[in-house]
Formats: sequence, C-alpha cells, structure tokens
Amino acid sequence: MADRRYETLVLIHPEQGEAGSKELAARIKTLIEEQGGTVSQVQEWGQRDLAYLIDKQRRAFYVLFEFRATPEALQEIERNLSLMDPVLRFVSVRQDENAPPAPQRPVRRSEHDEGEGGDDSPDEGEVDLVGEREMS
Amino acid sequence: MARERTGGARPPRRRGMGRRKVCRFCADKTLLIDYKDSRTLGTFLTERGKIIPARITGTCARHQRRLTVAVKHARTVALLPYTSVYP
Repeated sequence: MADRRYETLVLIHPEQGEAGSKELAARIKTLIEEQGGTVSQVQEWGQRDLAYLIDKQRRAFYVLFEFRATPEALQEIERNLSLMDPVLRFVSVRQDENAPPAPQRPVRRSEHDEGEGGDDSPDEGEVDLVGEREMS
Repeated sequence: MARERTGGARPPRRRGMGRRKVCRFCADKTLLIDYKDSRTLGTFLTERGKIIPARITGTCARHQRRLTVAVKHARTVALLPYTSVYP
C-alpha cells in the first residue's frame, strides 16, 4: 500500500493550556503512529491569534504534524481528530514528495498581529498620494 | 522601462498604468504557495479579506488556482479571515 506524505495543522482549544496542548499533541502523534504512519516532524507554534472567532475563542494552540501514511490511515486519523473535543479545527494537506520539510516556524508571529483583515494594501496609488502630501 | 501613465497620444492597447504585471510566483521560483504563509497570502487579499483577481495582481492562471486553494485552507484554520467585517 502506497503511503503518502501529508501534513496536518491542528488547532487546540486555549483552555488546554501550554501543558495540555503538548499532551494532546503527543496523543495525536501516537494516534498517527497507531494508524501505521511515520511522523517526521511535530511543530508547535504556540498560542496564536485567530483570524476570526472559533467556538467563541480568540486564540488557539497551533500544532503542525508532518507524516507519511496511507490514505485510509489519514481518513481514520481525521475521524479521530474530529472526535476530540479540545481540537477546534484541523486541515490536512497532501504534500509534494520532494517538497522541503516545513521550516521551523514559517511565520514569525510577534510583529504581525492578526488584527481586522488585510494587513497589506495592494494598491500602489496610495503610496503615491502620501508622497505628494508630504511634499506640499 | 516602466511607462508612466500617459494622458495623450494613445498608448498601444494597454491603457492607464504602465508596467507589465508579472506573476510573482513565476518571477521568484523560490517563493512557494503555502497555506501556512499568511503573510504572503495576505498580499493577495483585499482589506476585506477577499481574494484579489489575477487580472489585478498579474498572477498567472496556474498559480492563481493554487493560491486560491491555499487561501481557502488558511481560512479554515483561521490564519486568514473570511471577512474582516464580522457577520
């Protein structure tokens, strides 16, 4: 049975606390292994602000799992995840076989606070206007 | 190179803004489309959180398709908003 490379990002309820989320992450790791998967990396991003409320929560613990498993195993893993109450949400994505492993903490959190909506204004017109105002 | 917006003398076909738009992901092969990279994806969203059409950003069709999927994954896990105005 051909196994495939997946990654799953799991959101854990903030009530679990740092320790609780670590514990749960370990449990999910064993869950993947019980299904015959091999976990290559577990990344804990810590508590992050959510872009919108989930379950009336503003924040959640993010944990990323990289592993290999069969499609059937993934299905079973996802079924189990959806049964875990402290898991707010998760998303599984199939990864390219030769994609590099996810770099540690791909997005630095500190400066970029996920406030209301878009952080970048895409139109360059605005920049021009500001420049003109400063000149006059 | 970049033609400034010329008022008169009809420009050949493309009017208004000069500067040909190129797909950012084609121009920079090291830049990968990743749903976890909310910073990069955010530049393809409006302030309201809507995906900006490829027509505006200049992203090629192939990358726009991947971008769209990535944005949707990111929204699922609250890395990006569905809307900045809460319902």
